[in-house]
Amino acid sequence: MGSAAERAIELILSADRELCNILSVTGRMSLASSLLALLIGLPLGVWLGACRFRGRGALLVVNRTLMGMPPVVCGLIFYMLFSGVGPFRHMKLLFTVEIMILAQVVLITPIVVGTMESYVSAIAPGVRETAKGLALGGGRTLALLMNECSYQICSAYLLAFSRSIAEVGAVSMVGGAIAWKTNVMTTAIMQYTNRGDFSLGIALGMILLSLSLLVNIAISLLQKGVSR
Amino acid sequence: MKKTLSLLLVLAMLVAMLAGCSSSTTAETEAPAAEPTQAPAETVETEEPAADAVVVDTKILYEADESMLNTYTLIAVNPDAPFTDADGNPVSDVAVNTAGADALIHWLLSQEALDLAAAYGVEDYGENLFYLLEDVPVYDGEIAAATEETKTIRLSTTTSVNDSGLLGYLLPVFQEEYGYTVEVQSAGTGKAIAAAQYGNADLILVHSKSQEEDFVAAGYARTVDGFDSERVSFIYNYFVLCGPSADPAGAAECPSVKDAFAAIAQGKYTFISRGDGSGTHTKELSLWPEELGITADAESFADYTDWYISANAGMGACLVMAEEMGAYILTDKATFLAFVANGGQA
Repeated sequence: MGSAAERAIELILSADRELCNILSVTGRMSLASSLLALLIGLPLGVWLGACRFRGRGALLVVNRTLMGMPPVVCGLIFYMLFSGVGPFRHMKLLFTVEIMILAQVVLITPIVVGTMESYVSAIAPGVRETAKGLALGGGRTLALLMNECSYQICSAYLLAFSRSIAEVGAVSMVGGAIAWKTNVMTTAIMQYTNRGDFSLGIALGMILLSLSLLVNIAISLLQKGVSR
Repeated sequence: MKKTLSLLLVLAMLVAMLAGCSSSTTAETEAPAAEPTQAPAETVETEEPAADAVVVDTKILYEADESMLNTYTLIAVNPDAPFTDADGNPVSDVAVNTAGADALIHWLLSQEALDLAAAYGVEDYGENLFYLLEDVPVYDGEIAAATEETKTIRLSTTTSVNDSGLLGYLLPVFQEEYGYTVEVQSAGTGKAIAAAQYGNADLILVHSKSQEEDFVAAGYARTVDGFDSERVSFIYNYFVLCGPSADPAGAAECPSVKDAFAAIAQGKYTFISRGDGSGTHTKELSLWPEELGITADAESFADYTDWYISANAGMGACLVMAEEMGAYILTDKATFLAFVANGGQA
């Protein structure tokens, strides 16, 4: 472990070019995919949580099933779809960062939807009552609701980001872990482990965890700000 | 019909859960009984002085046997191959960068690249990692420079080539000189070939003759200008049989490598198999005595699980495993030398 920590520090201090590339691809992929997932998942989650309509139960079951989708299965589906012989081959997306983001969005959007839905459905009756008492219109009721769950939105985003940065099964399938192009932290760790270079793998793991820590601290501060 | 099916499913799940529970309870009841006897042994072990210098115990026991020849072959993918999608329907317009694949094969077979490949490893390990085939068809014609459409080349190769560092050493020279970008995906030979069959590679660099011949026979290969055959073999090295330095099976004294494998099987000494359909795995399967009937099929070695370990992992990870378990293993020499040079960390 000692040598792994040393190697991690050495790698960061030397600003290794390949490491910088891996970090930038990782950052691009996990930020883009978690933001996109939030953008899609937030309205869906609020809608499912706040409104009562026919088929809502079925949608919830579908969403919960998708929450449990094994990443490697998601990766496999995208691989087959965008493969050189797949139906979407003309888009030439296989082994690009874009398709990694796409696969990640499919994986993590259900998680955002799920967390938002369970929170919103718990607070919605109270908010509705308050809105009725204050005679607020639809738009302002929604604003009130969103204000109530701003803390939860941060948590949902954090969950999405963490899942995205830590995921390996899907991104290694569709990204191919190509050096200088689609190699992210997790796939690089896999590669070094497969080669038997465990200490470099742990070194990268330490860097990944520190990155995660930084993002978590930032969002926690933001969360404190919004809940005040 | 549906109802009975779902009922059956629920029943099966219940049975599985019950079986799981009962086996775990027996394991729990067994555990305390086993613990007292194990505990003292453990403390004795921890009191022993830990070796401070990392010494790799695994060593080469058998090498340079004719049957251990490991030849690497380049094959360009045929854009008009009978590609099929996942459902088996034919697909015709698969994009394959033929010009790029040609340029890379031409360059790899040029005198310049062959000289580089032949010298690889001497500096780092004091030993050649690859040798040139005697009848290698040297290419001395024109090599096309990259254009906007052809500049990205998708090379699907095996982990052993990639892990040996050969491509990282050769490709930058090519990319610099001709302006291409080579995207390397590495996996076991089986998966590397599958990637090409799914239209995700422009050329492959693999080392498993039988699988290559199947690939060519199925019409996925293309003969590159300037060569006679679809399969362009150019470099080789040897597989080596490694094992613990004590060599309990006496593999090093066997007259042939097949006898060494027979001795390992006879004495049931632990053997780590790649088990991942790689070229190394295919070679290993061909070396066992035929009466054992070991194939890539998991069923075939179900009776040998006490000594035959199918790891389903990369070469480096398997070497670490062999070192930990004091097991025998078949490996390519390049990865093994890198593993030893790094003190057992490939």
